[in-house]
Amino acid sequence: MARRIRWLGIGMVLCFFLLFLQLNNIQVVKAHQYATAAGNPVVQRALYDKPRGVIQSADGKILAQSVRAPKSSIYQYKRVYPEQWATLFSGVVGVDSINLGNYGVEESYNQYLVAHSRPVTSIKDLLTTSPPITDTVTLTISSRLQQDARNALAGRAGAVVAINPSTGAILALYANPTFDPNPLASLSGATENKAFKADTTNFLGYTPFTSLAYQDATRFGPGSTFKTVTTAAAYDRAPQLVNTPVPSFGPIPSGHFQGQTQPLANDAGGQCGGTIAIMLPESCDTGYAILGTEIGAPSMTAEADGFGFNQQPPIDLPHNSRTQISDFLQPNCYQNAQVFLAYSSIGQKCTTASPLQMAMVASAFADNGTLMTPHVMAQIRDSDGNLVTQYKPTAWKQATSAATAAAVTNLMKEVVTAGTATGVGFLPQDDVAAKTGTAQAGVGNTSVNGWMIAFAPASHPVIAIAVVVPTKVTNLGATVAGPVVKAMIEAALSGP
Amino acid sequence: MPTLLSRRLPGQDARPSGPNARRRTELGLLILSALIIVAAYVLAAAGTTAKIPGDLGPFLAIVIGLALAAHIANRLYAPDANPVLLPLVSLLNGLGYVMIARIGPPHFATAQAGWTAVGVGAYIVTLIVVRRTRDLDRYRYLLLLAAVVLMLSPLIPHVGSSVSTVDSTVKLWVRIGPISGQPVELAKLALCIFFASYFAEKRELLSVPTYRLGNRLILDPRPLGPILLAWGFAMLVLGAERDIGFALLIFVLFISMLWLATGRSLYVIVGLILFAVGALVASHLFSQVDARVENWLHPWSRVNLVGGSDQLVQGIYGLGTGGLTGTGLGFGLLGYIPEVNSDYIFAAFGTEMGLLGTTLIVFSFVLIVGAGLRIAQTARSEFAKLLAAGLTVIIGLQAFFIMAGIVRLLPLTGITLPFMAYGGSSLVANYILIALLMRVSDEGERAIVAAQATATPVASSAGGPSG
Repeated sequence: MARRIRWLGIGMVLCFFLLFLQLNNIQVVKAHQYATAAGNPVVQRALYDKPRGVIQSADGKILAQSVRAPKSSIYQYKRVYPEQWATLFSGVVGVDSINLGNYGVEESYNQYLVAHSRPVTSIKDLLTTSPPITDTVTLTISSRLQQDARNALAGRAGAVVAINPSTGAILALYANPTFDPNPLASLSGATENKAFKADTTNFLGYTPFTSLAYQDATRFGPGSTFKTVTTAAAYDRAPQLVNTPVPSFGPIPSGHFQGQTQPLANDAGGQCGGTIAIMLPESCDTGYAILGTEIGAPSMTAEADGFGFNQQPPIDLPHNSRTQISDFLQPNCYQNAQVFLAYSSIGQKCTTASPLQMAMVASAFADNGTLMTPHVMAQIRDSDGNLVTQYKPTAWKQATSAATAAAVTNLMKEVVTAGTATGVGFLPQDDVAAKTGTAQAGVGNTSVNGWMIAFAPASHPVIAIAVVVPTKVTNLGATVAGPVVKAMIEAALSGP
Repeated sequence: MPTLLSRRLPGQDARPSGPNARRRTELGLLILSALIIVAAYVLAAAGTTAKIPGDLGPFLAIVIGLALAAHIANRLYAPDANPVLLPLVSLLNGLGYVMIARIGPPHFATAQAGWTAVGVGAYIVTLIVVRRTRDLDRYRYLLLLAAVVLMLSPLIPHVGSSVSTVDSTVKLWVRIGPISGQPVELAKLALCIFFASYFAEKRELLSVPTYRLGNRLILDPRPLGPILLAWGFAMLVLGAERDIGFALLIFVLFISMLWLATGRSLYVIVGLILFAVGALVASHLFSQVDARVENWLHPWSRVNLVGGSDQLVQGIYGLGTGGLTGTGLGFGLLGYIPEVNSDYIFAAFGTEMGLLGTTLIVFSFVLIVGAGLRIAQTARSEFAKLLAAGLTVIIGLQAFFIMAGIVRLLPLTGITLPFMAYGGSSLVANYILIALLMRVSDEGERAIVAAQATATPVASSAGGPSG
């Protein structure tokens, strides 16, 4: 037995030796990795032992800041979103929550907002240690325009996205419902989780935490506002169709399109057709449905891609959804069903878009066909006031040619002067170009999404805008979204 | 008690000298361990409250007093026993107490101090009551019965209770009046004694083929009957109580003792197969087992799940944060590690004392295992050898399982780290375990001395050990 006891001893010492090796692995080899892991409470806590940078609006209103945590807290600092702006900006600013993580600008510019060491600019800096500093992030959005958006929506569900077409700077980005970030940053796990649960629960038919403005691309069909893209597709890819009149129809009877089982009627009722110049101002559904099928699925998809569809918008906000038109080339929309291409060409069925995407469409027409990269950060300064970084406007895509953009702009001006947007009451001196949209939605078309995209002044645009307001089936995009667009354009053109 | 001089035998220099020298070594080591504990206590208190603890005097008195009490008991009742076991145990126990006091809440520290006193008392009583190991041999079936009752007790309604907040089907505890405990801690000792006794007696039958099957001799399967019965019962009860850690511990104890007694590797192979089957069945039957394996394999993706790997991951973060030298006693962020003062106390040491601290603990257990197996080697009878080896396997593997679980070498099993973790029954049972080892050691050493005395005529005239 002596020999076996010795073997037992060897076995047990071997076990402990393996344990010792693994301890070395964890406490020496990988120690740094674990000690600095994002989930390590030491790391998380250290973040709240230092202040975090300020986020402010374009007009200098403080939207997020760190304040001393109450004495009872185990943390030194607490993130606070001043009450006046909290729900107004939460869709952009997001939240910095110890339990839920970071969202919005709090996430995308986190590296500037966390306390960090001063950049070394001289030999003296190299040799001395200075207290950590935080940077201030200034947004492109002013509190004034953002408030105008909220006031214009007047408590209805919906979203407003306004862009400066020549720079891509977001001027307003607001969606209702919205959420209050303060409970989510309360530093109390129970409070944060409770608030999060409420914010991700149905409210007005939507979840407040998911911004209708840019985080839910599959919810809305853009309706007739998409006809601007179909028009551009005709100019760019099928010019022979531009001046060819489309046969006039009342409802297009079932069976006209391959796979069509129901008549396709004009939204306004009645009969229409003719050339693009006639059809766009009056928003002829039957005509554009036929036009789309004649342009064809590959050209329609390629044109839509040029305006940013089917891609992540390159905006500096995290968690933005892919905006998609068409799965034109996908079996479910293409195979056996030309009718889907017909509907998609008027912004329904396979075509869905976020308000951000449609604002980008408007901005591309406004900027001679160039689609600028949308962004919400204007500049970042350190606590000494030195400029850390400034957003340099960059073109994302050439969506269409300048000539096509000019042609579509003229048609969109006619929408205002003689088409579906005449009733909105745009001021003539504002020189507005617009397109309305009323997309059928809900089971059995029980509701509609009222849309309008616009830019102004058409000669030298300073604002491009998209508005969506889901509404009841008897309303039109011009009547629900139109007044919001009008208010925003007048606010933007009246100067700061 | 024989005098020191009477033990100074010529030609004995190669072996550790007589009992008083051993006890002097023990006393020296105990003083060293007390110094380390008190230093740690002062540092931990300074780290948490930035001042020297006010109760330093009483604390010092208790630490030294308890160690002295056990030491005097050794001098009186086990004078020849191993001199390093008690100081090692006292060191681990003391450091564990310091950490529990540092983590809080205060009533945990008070309770742990009380249980330490009870544990030392149990140690002394065991040394007094168990004067010869063969006394234990005689009560083999009585001890088996005791083990059965102890293991069943948590299943009795009103007495049994669950402390787990995660899984209320885990039933390991009994509560009688204000006192609660994990009876399986004591049952493991009774089972170990039973196994040792039974295997020692049936050793021949278990290892030599005597059973005729056709014209071949094979191992007589009959002696395995009761033992498999006992083992199966233990597994069943532990399965019903969902205590995977102890089920595993007792299983490994059973297999290793059977192998030690017989030397038949067949038992080990069959044991391993049984284990594999058992593990497979358990992972299907008990979601808890399955979850533990999943947590072990994919800790980083299961942090936020209920019954997920949060504890495992927090422990590893703690160990990593501690690094080589630790954050310093009192300076670690321990509040995020679940069960940090019981199952996960090892991670607390890893955080605040770093690799140096964890190495100290691991090597203390290696030394305890070494001392235990050495005692087994010098033990007088087959029974005593098996008993000492079995007890060593219990303490060594119990420590190994929980530490290996924390560092993700093995799936996590919820068993306590002997002598360090918060918990009364564990402390008392392990003190009794050490007392039994000391008894075996004392007997063995005395027999050796006696043998040398008879072999050396000069020595016998000086008055040999009474043995």
